[in-house]
Amino acid sequence: MFNNRVLAVFKREIREKLLSKSFIIMTVLIPVFIFAIIGIQAFLMNFEGDDITSLVFISENQEIINTLRKDFSEKDDNIKADYYTLDSTPEQFIENHNKDLVSEKLTGIIYIPETSLKDKSIKYYSKNPNNIKLFKRLEGKINNILLTNYFKGIGLTAEQKEYTKKTVDFNGFRVSENNKVSEEGIGNTVIAFLFTFLLYMSLLLIGTQMMRSVVEEKSNRIVEILLSSVSSKELMMGKVLGVSATGLMQMIIWLLPVIIVTSSAVFLLPPDLILSLSPVQILFFLLNYFIGLLTYLGLFACVGSMFDNDQDAQSGVWPLMMLIMIPFFIALSMETNPNSEIAKISSMLPFASIIVMPSRLTLIEVPMWQIVLSIFVNIVTLAAVIPLAGKIYRIGILITGRKPKWGEIAKWIRA
Amino acid sequence: MYAVEVKNLSKSFGDLKAVNDISFNVSEGSVFGLLGRNGAGKTTTIRMMMNIYEPDKGEVLIRGVKMGQDFRNQVGYLPEERGLYKKMKVLDTILYFAELKGKRNKETEKRAQRYLEMFQLADRKNSKIEELSKGNQQKVQFILTVLHEPEFIILDEPFSGLDPVNTDLLIDLILELKNKGKIIILCTHLMDFAERMCDHIVLIDNGEKILDGALRDIKEKHSEGNIFLEYKGNISFIKDLNFVEKFEDFGNTANIKVSGNDKIQTILKLALDNNVEINKFNANDISLHEIFVSLTGYDEKSKRRMLNV
Repeated sequence: MFNNRVLAVFKREIREKLLSKSFIIMTVLIPVFIFAIIGIQAFLMNFEGDDITSLVFISENQEIINTLRKDFSEKDDNIKADYYTLDSTPEQFIENHNKDLVSEKLTGIIYIPETSLKDKSIKYYSKNPNNIKLFKRLEGKINNILLTNYFKGIGLTAEQKEYTKKTVDFNGFRVSENNKVSEEGIGNTVIAFLFTFLLYMSLLLIGTQMMRSVVEEKSNRIVEILLSSVSSKELMMGKVLGVSATGLMQMIIWLLPVIIVTSSAVFLLPPDLILSLSPVQILFFLLNYFIGLLTYLGLFACVGSMFDNDQDAQSGVWPLMMLIMIPFFIALSMETNPNSEIAKISSMLPFASIIVMPSRLTLIEVPMWQIVLSIFVNIVTLAAVIPLAGKIYRIGILITGRKPKWGEIAKWIRA
Repeated sequence: MYAVEVKNLSKSFGDLKAVNDISFNVSEGSVFGLLGRNGAGKTTTIRMMMNIYEPDKGEVLIRGVKMGQDFRNQVGYLPEERGLYKKMKVLDTILYFAELKGKRNKETEKRAQRYLEMFQLADRKNSKIEELSKGNQQKVQFILTVLHEPEFIILDEPFSGLDPVNTDLLIDLILELKNKGKIIILCTHLMDFAERMCDHIVLIDNGEKILDGALRDIKEKHSEGNIFLEYKGNISFIKDLNFVEKFEDFGNTANIKVSGNDKIQTILKLALDNNVEINKFNANDISLHEIFVSLTGYDEKSKRRMLNV
C-alpha cells in the first residue's frame, strides 16, 4: 500500500511543512505560550492585589499586643495593622467598629483572648470571615507569638525554640511496583500539564492546518489532477502520514529538553522539581501522540473534504473540536484530582485516551494492563476511523458548490 | 483493437442522470473529440475514464484490458477547472506531478527545462505559482500534463483563457504529439477547434450520446443541401420558398438548407435574379458549429417559451 505515489505525496507534505515559516514559528511559540499560561495561572493564584488589608488586633493581654506590634511593624507592606489593649468586652469593641467593618474600611478584627495562651483559639471578625489566604499568612506569626509566650518561663535553648516553632512538612514519595521509592516534587505535575497542553494545542493546530490544506486542494481543484495520478486513498494516506511525521518531529523537538533533563545526571534539579519520568514513558508518549495524530488528522482531512471553503469548514469542525477539548479538560482536572474515576475510565476510551493517558501516567502509577489496553484501543480506533474517513474523503473532495447534508454523508459511508 | 473502449458508462448523482449508457471507441494515434454543451456530461465521462468516479455501470478498456493504475501512469490529464498549489514553485510543481506518475530523474528534469523554455517560462521556474499570470499558470498546467510522456492525453477545454499566440502554440504541440502516435482526447464545446483538430467526434447532450463518427463522414452527411452564403442585399424571399428546410439570416451571412442537391443552383439563380450581391457561396458545406447547434440547440418551441417568460 505504501508505494512511490504515497511516498511522493508524503515527501511533499514534509517538505512543505518542515521548511515553512509557520512550522518554525509554531515550534518556538507554542512552548512560550504554554509557559505564559502556566505563569499567568501561577500569578493569578498568588495575586494579592494592591488593596491594603487593614486589620485591628485586640487582646486583653498587653504583652501580646506589644509583641504583635513589634513583629508586624517591620515587614508586611500590604497589611496595615492597629493594636488595642481591650478595656471593654470584645463584643463592645466589635460593635463600636461595626460601621468600618461593614463598609470594609476595616478588613477585619482579630481577637486574641487571654485563653488562647492555653488553647490557641482566636477569633476573626469580618464581613468575609473565611479569608483562608489571610489565615495562612498570619497563623505562623501568631503561633510563634503564642509559643514564645507559652515557653517564656521555661529556659529553652534557641535550638529548642526553633524546633517548637516549626510545623510539620509533608514530603510525598512515589511508590511503584518494582520497590522503587522516589521523592516526588511538583516536577511531574508540571510535566503532566505540559503534556496535556502540548497534545491539545498541537492536535488542534496541526489538525486545522490539515483541514485547510484539504480545503485548498479541493477549492483550487488541484485534487482533480492529483486524482488522475493517485487514488484518493493514496492521497489521503500520503498526506496524513506526512503531516503526522512532521508533527512527531515537532513533538520530539519540544520534548528534547525534558528528555535531556530526565536522562542525564548533569542537571541537578532541586528536589521539588525532580521528574520521575522514564524513557519508556517518553516513548509511550511519542507513540501515543503519533497514533493520535494519524487518527485525528484522518478525521480533520475528512471534515476538510466535506467543505470547499475555510469558513464552512471551520463551522463544521466543532464535533471534532469537542473530541479534543473534552479529554483536554478531563486531563486538566487530574492536576488536582489524579485518582478521579472519570480520568481513569476516559484514559482507556477511544479518542480521549490519547490526551488523558499521558497526563495520568505522569501523575500516578498506572497498571501495565491499562496502558496496554489504551494503546490497543487507540490502534483499533485508528483502524476503524481511517477507512470511514477515507470513504467520506473519496466522495467529498470532488463535490463543490454546496454543503453536503448529514444524510448524504451517511450515504457515502454506506456506498 | 481500439486504444480506448468505453462501454455503457452510466453515472447518476441523486436523481440527476449525469451520464446515461455512453459507449464509444478511440483509435490509436488519433485526435478524438468529446463534444457537448456545458453540463452535458463530458467531465463526468472523463472522470469515470480516469477512475476518479466509480461508474454506476459500464467499464473502460485500455487496449483490451480493464483500466487500472497502469493507465493512470500513462495518462496526462488537463482538467477543465485547473488549480495548482499557489505557494509552490514552478519547477517544483512540474516535477512533483511527474513524480506522482512515477517519473523522477535527470531526464525528466531536462525535459521540464526544455518545456519551460518553449513556453518562455524558463526565467520563472523559481517563482511561486501565485506570482504567475493566469495564462502562464495554464502553460505550467499543460507542461505537467505532458511532462511524463503519457501515451494518452486528455485535455478538457485546453484553450480557455489562452491568448491567440499561445493557443496556436498549444495547437502545434497537440498536433506534434499526435504525430508521435499519442492518443489525444479533446473535450470541448468550442467547435472551431474540434473541427480543426479532431479525426473522430462523439457528441453528448444531457448525458446521452447523440452523435458518433469520423468528422469527415459526419460533415458529409449533414452538409447535403446545405449552403453557406455571404451576401449584400435582401434575401428574405428565400424563406418563403417551399423547398427551403432551414433558413438562418445573420445580415451578412446566412445558412440555408434545401431539400435536394438540385435545388442549390436554384437558390443561386434566384439570388442573382433578385439583385443580391454574392460574395461567397459554399454548397454542400457545413461547419461543425452548425451541426452542434442544430443537434443540441433549443428547438423552436422551447425557444419561444423562453422568450415569453
